[in-house]
Amino acid sequence: MATKHTFDAIVVGGGPAGTAAALTMARSGLKTILIERGNFVGAKNFFGGVMYTHAIADLLPDFWERTPPFERPLTEQGYWMLAPDSVVRMTHKSEHYKHEPADAYTVLRAQFDPWLAEQASKAGALVVTRTAVLRVLQDSKGKVIGVRTDRPDGDVYAPIVIIAEGVNNLLTQRLGLIKNDLPPRFVALAVKEYISLPAKDIQARFGLTGANEGAAIDIFGDATMGLPGTAFLYTDKAGISIGVGMLLDEFIQHKLRPYEVLARFKNHPVIQPYLEGGKPFEYGAHLIPETGYDRMPKLAADGVMVAGDAAGMVDALHREGTNLAMTAGRMAGLTAIKAHQAGDFSATFLNQYRQDLENSFVLKDMKQYRRMTDFLDTTPHFMGTYANFLNDVALRYFTAHGIPKRDMERQIVGMLQERRSFFGVAQDMVKLLRAMRG
Amino acid sequence: MKLKKKKGQSHEPLSPELRATLPKVNINDLVVSIKYYVDEDFAHIQIRDHSVCTRCATKPCLDFCPVQVFTADAQGKIMVGYQACVECGSCRIGCPLKNVDWQLPRGGHGVAYKFG
Repeated sequence: MATKHTFDAIVVGGGPAGTAAALTMARSGLKTILIERGNFVGAKNFFGGVMYTHAIADLLPDFWERTPPFERPLTEQGYWMLAPDSVVRMTHKSEHYKHEPADAYTVLRAQFDPWLAEQASKAGALVVTRTAVLRVLQDSKGKVIGVRTDRPDGDVYAPIVIIAEGVNNLLTQRLGLIKNDLPPRFVALAVKEYISLPAKDIQARFGLTGANEGAAIDIFGDATMGLPGTAFLYTDKAGISIGVGMLLDEFIQHKLRPYEVLARFKNHPVIQPYLEGGKPFEYGAHLIPETGYDRMPKLAADGVMVAGDAAGMVDALHREGTNLAMTAGRMAGLTAIKAHQAGDFSATFLNQYRQDLENSFVLKDMKQYRRMTDFLDTTPHFMGTYANFLNDVALRYFTAHGIPKRDMERQIVGMLQERRSFFGVAQDMVKLLRAMRG
Repeated sequence: MKLKKKKGQSHEPLSPELRATLPKVNINDLVVSIKYYVDEDFAHIQIRDHSVCTRCATKPCLDFCPVQVFTADAQGKIMVGYQACVECGSCRIGCPLKNVDWQLPRGGHGVAYKFG
């Protein structure tokens, strides 16, 4: 007879949420297994590029001594509003960003995620790769008791399972923790290229003094052809991460090819000089759940908790996700430890996890921006209209025509009215304010 | 099954001039940069029912898939090149007729990003 593989806790998925959960539990002495389907932890993980250290510090107070594989600290951040042949830039650069460890770093996930998994491993977690979880095992009352993997003799049992399976949350769906799959208007598709470029070229082009400086720019307007979405340009050590993301529904409705939108962005006269001479090293794509607070799955049920992208934990406005995931994974882990102490794995007990998240920035931010996706969805003209307007205003403002400035101001107001009625502008601003204020 | 009318503002079609600014891209030039452990014995993405695709007027999968897994043959039948899949899940969510059977590749197979 096959031996029964029993653990104190099972974690599905080696992203930031799952790894944080596994690390937290293993460190407290729970016999923990982390199951990852990729060839190594991080093989399937892909994002734009910015990682926030507050979440890492909460997990690993001494993370800096453990030499995480960061690319560049962010010392300049901001927005570029792109029109077809021009740009209005609003970025913030400060000496205050220059401290070690910095608040945020660019990161390549195939390097960072294995490092994080190594920390979980050092804490005592058993990290098993190349193993897919096929389904969650439940007892006759529906309590989760383990998982079935695609390994021979691959059933694994534990009184608690933390699902951190990522945006394609098939297990979460099959457990009935979320009623419907996400519709294409609540999920964004992002594509990115990592382009290799000598560090000195990156520094010269972005005005950085050395490897101790880096820039992260989010770009709107013509970058996504005026459609709801964003593009980005992030500096790595010896490369640039450049990408575009839009709601999947935009690609569908307009029959757009993501790689053509990216290529168009790369060819933009403002963007092209930054990439000149770079060698494309890797292309990839990933979905971002723009689920929103109101459509999140149930985060806990008997014997199970859900964390990270699987639960839609993303703040798209601030391009945050991995820090929400890492915080949620840690909190799920802490709840699992308490559940073991109490010997209670019921949904009622595990809801402590939800409470902790509600009291943290994770669900507070998600609640505040609960209308953000709806805002983008119902004002598809927003980015294009105002990015173009700003560029036209700038051109008018910075050009002398030998006419009184009072007339110029009137012209600028007229330029806005040509694009959008007074009520249209008012409506857009009210909607934006509501989306920002929650 | 009909395409559900979406809430909120309808999508104004892109102007032909704007569409003309999209460069042509050979997807193979991008896919070659990606490392895969291809599972030759298991296609993790399949069309559930090919007759459903023939009823699909828009076939958006041909365009939105970021690695062009879906192509149409001379007869218009949708072919699935699952080997190039980066497992993003767009087709699972984006197929208007929910006709894509989307599973995870077996453990250790599929995309393995070198940079990520």
